[in-house]
Amino acid sequence: MSAAASSSSSASAKVAEPLKEDESQPALGVLEEDDEFEEFAVADWDDSQTNLAHLEGTAPGSAKSKGDKLWEDNWDDDDIEDDFSVQLRQELTKKGGEPMQH
Amino acid sequence: MPAMNFSTFLMQIADALRKEKGPELAYLLRPMEEHGKSLIKEFRNPTRQSLSYYEGSMESPWDEIAIQYVLVVNHCAKRRAIEAFKEECTLISLFFRYFTTKTGWTLPALFSILRDLRDLAFDADLEARQRGQEGTENMEEAARVISKAFTNCVTDRMSPKAESRKWGVYYVVGLILKSYFRVKRISLAKNILRAIDANPDIPPLDQYPRSHQVTYRYYIGMLSFLNEDLAKSEQELTLAFYHCHIGAKTNLERILTYLIPLRIFRGHLPSRELLDRFPAIDDLYSPFITAIRRGDVHDYDAALDRFERRLVDLNLFLTMERGRELCVRELFRRVWVVSGKGTRVMVSSFHTALQLAGEDVSVEEAECLVANMIYKGYIRGYISHGQQTVVLAAANTFPKLADRPSPYAVL
Repeated sequence: MSAAASSSSSASAKVAEPLKEDESQPALGVLEEDDEFEEFAVADWDDSQTNLAHLEGTAPGSAKSKGDKLWEDNWDDDDIEDDFSVQLRQELTKKGGEPMQH
Repeated sequence: MPAMNFSTFLMQIADALRKEKGPELAYLLRPMEEHGKSLIKEFRNPTRQSLSYYEGSMESPWDEIAIQYVLVVNHCAKRRAIEAFKEECTLISLFFRYFTTKTGWTLPALFSILRDLRDLAFDADLEARQRGQEGTENMEEAARVISKAFTNCVTDRMSPKAESRKWGVYYVVGLILKSYFRVKRISLAKNILRAIDANPDIPPLDQYPRSHQVTYRYYIGMLSFLNEDLAKSEQELTLAFYHCHIGAKTNLERILTYLIPLRIFRGHLPSRELLDRFPAIDDLYSPFITAIRRGDVHDYDAALDRFERRLVDLNLFLTMERGRELCVRELFRRVWVVSGKGTRVMVSSFHTALQLAGEDVSVEEAECLVANMIYKGYIRGYISHGQQTVVLAAANTFPKLADRPSPYAVL
């Protein structure tokens, strides 16, 4: 029963509207398909097979400052020396209207 | 598996029932397996009538279930998806008669036939479409049948707790939600979620197998996202992410697609380590993240432009468009840093920065943008319009994004 065969994914791959590819849209693999959350191969597993291992003892939902290295919550950098900031500094100094406080 | 005839099939079912082997029973009822194909060779053109000879050949309702099975397999073999789906519905209602008298050992079989039902419904809708009938009637019917399974799980008041049919609740709800998402009728999900709330004797979610938990949380997260309850969505998707099996990459990717924008609003940017594990996610979000870190409004807009179609397809465009304000915040923060972090910055400085970033705005528009950012809590201070000066708080001038009390407040 190959054609009626009911794997949703194979069926949907066939009927999915052909994506009009243009070069500027990068391929996003799985995210493009009109497919759904997949069945898991196994029913249950323990912590060691999850990303909980990355939490290093914190609760899901926190970030690096609390020990979760998958997320950064402290990225306000004051030491900004990229081209844009250098240019910005020059412009603001040039205009001279700004009282520079150091 | 060697060729099987109908009487062997009945014997194997009887054996699985006697020994309470759920997975075995599930296997025997799957229409796509080899034994099904070999079974139907025995019958030329099986109909319920021609098979009625076998009624009473084993304990009810299994004689009828076995007959139904042959009908389903035969329709599948003949590529009649709509008929196959209808016969599977009948098979399942017969199965319910048995299921409701048994304990949880039958759950693997229930899960399996419900999955098959959904697959057949999908094919049936496809077939109907090829015949020119638009709609998703079969998938909606499948969702109704699966909802009955939900009731049949919840109403188990006899089995000991460990063997309760209640352990099927969340898996079944996951299938219902999948069906509604498939046919884009997500408003129907309310009923089933209400039913869960109305049954306080359903065990807590975290006692269920992780596959059930993660699937359920993913769909609740998605529902909340689409209903614009972003705080709830972030919570559920975070738990789905952390409890998901690390080998289930596409599922993790699906979760992250929605979780990352929500975390960004909370001021939590995905680390390089995380992005490196998911190249597709990296491709999509890195341009935005880099722009936010640099306050590069121009690059942010370019990324929005470039990914517009994908983001619209994913229902993420508006969210990412709102994320632009994080980028403006960083641009303004840089103006303040570059100006020496004082408590007074001229409106014209913000205007200069916007111009430099490629934003062709007037001084008035720049002032308005600053006012907005103050109003939204990104900047602490006020504008002295007469002096054309922004007066800033001396401490915590640009509060950390991660510290904002309600990052999802719709403004």
